[in-house]
Amino acid sequence: MLKAHIIKKRRELTVDVSLELERGQSVGLFGASGAGKSTVLACIAGIDEPDDGLVELNGLRLFPPSLPLHKRPLGYLTQEPGLFPHLTVSENIVFGIPKERAGEEDKKHWIETLRDSLQLGPLWSAPASRISGGQARRVSLARMLARKPPLVLLDEPFAGLDRQLVRELIDNLVVWSQTVGFSIIAVDHQAEVLRRLCPQQVIVLEQAKIVQRGTWDELYKSPATPLLRSLLAPI
Amino acid sequence: MKIDRRWLARAGATLFALALLYPFTALFARIGAWQWGEDVRGPALSSVRVSLSLTTAAMLIIVALGTPVAAYVARCRTRERLLWQAVLLIPILVPPLALGILLTLAFGPYGTVGSWLEHFGILMTNSATAFVYTQVYVGMGYYVLGAVAAFDAVPSMLQKQAALLGLAPWKVFLRVTLPLSRLGLAVALSIAWVRAIGEFGAVIVTAYYPSGMPVQVWVNLQSFGLPAVMPLLVVFLAVALPLPWLVHVLAQRRRHA
Repeated sequence: MLKAHIIKKRRELTVDVSLELERGQSVGLFGASGAGKSTVLACIAGIDEPDDGLVELNGLRLFPPSLPLHKRPLGYLTQEPGLFPHLTVSENIVFGIPKERAGEEDKKHWIETLRDSLQLGPLWSAPASRISGGQARRVSLARMLARKPPLVLLDEPFAGLDRQLVRELIDNLVVWSQTVGFSIIAVDHQAEVLRRLCPQQVIVLEQAKIVQRGTWDELYKSPATPLLRSLLAPI
Repeated sequence: MKIDRRWLARAGATLFALALLYPFTALFARIGAWQWGEDVRGPALSSVRVSLSLTTAAMLIIVALGTPVAAYVARCRTRERLLWQAVLLIPILVPPLALGILLTLAFGPYGTVGSWLEHFGILMTNSATAFVYTQVYVGMGYYVLGAVAAFDAVPSMLQKQAALLGLAPWKVFLRVTLPLSRLGLAVALSIAWVRAIGEFGAVIVTAYYPSGMPVQVWVNLQSFGLPAVMPLLVVFLAVALPLPWLVHVLAQRRRHA
């Protein structure tokens, strides 16, 4: 279970967001650019440090004090795939798995599942520096999930990808979140992407504050602010 | 007639390169028969051994001490980084002869450290130790500043990603930072090598003995004249320059690949 209350000063605004998430649940953070969505995610991941608040994951205190990145049991995916260019695709995917555990039967099976579901077989031995942008996103998704983190943070990881690929990746993620049992917090400025990824609940941020939280149906039915109404309207 | 601008630029660059390489035509200057008799050859080969072995030792120390310092400086915020870089520049900016005098006074028998070390039988002037520490002082700034630039070139997001995948900081350094910066580190080391092995001004003050190649070139010039210098000069260029030159060429090739 995740409990987070993030307070973070950013120029004139102060991000003040709290949320709770049960195992296997997902929540989408929605709002216009600059609303503070990515800041919340970065603070939970540990990439950024909150000025105040509390972050706990399954009883483990992540903040305060700030737990070092390598001790945080979570996955964090951004628009930038961040693959290690000096390694092959397969080396990238098993990067975070200790060698003694990589040989375990269930680990091997899980890696094979990721490889086959994300169609990484033909790329398996290719240098990570030589694959396309779309392929790199699939590899980074597999790398993040290889360790089966209990919490997955997604910061617009599908921006710029074609719709077919986005649908496939999201459907895989949703299925795995249930079978493996990880929670998802996702940020996206496209409501349809976020709704497919986090169908259960959504939190809307405006000017670094929560202006609405609930189900997607509630959101579409009665948006709390004019800006939200315009963000949800078809182009 | 219209002249292609590219060819004009190429001709200019060629002239520039020829001017840069012009001094090496002196290797064919008419100065009489080169001397390579026993009285020249013995000390010359000994100086080659001294330079290669002791400069290698100095480089090992530079890498061992300089790499963690560079890794730290690369992670500092701007103001602190400027401070460290200013400190690292000092031994680079001090004229070599002045550096040699300062080192002798500080580490020699009249200095606190020097007299203390002498109690343990460690001589800090005219010894292999003096030769090595002088080269360490001469080359360290070049290596660390180059290594900081090499570490800077590694995207910090990759290091954070590696940490989020469960790697402790030292493992991130070994598995991500070091492999991605190794070419830059090699270039930094090659610059330190060239600088240290060619050092004359500081070394002649702190370690006239054992004589390295630059000091031996000077001794030969004083004792026998130019014909005794030229063979050693050729050996000097042949043993000291190919490795760093190759590293630079490879680094540039990789950068533009």
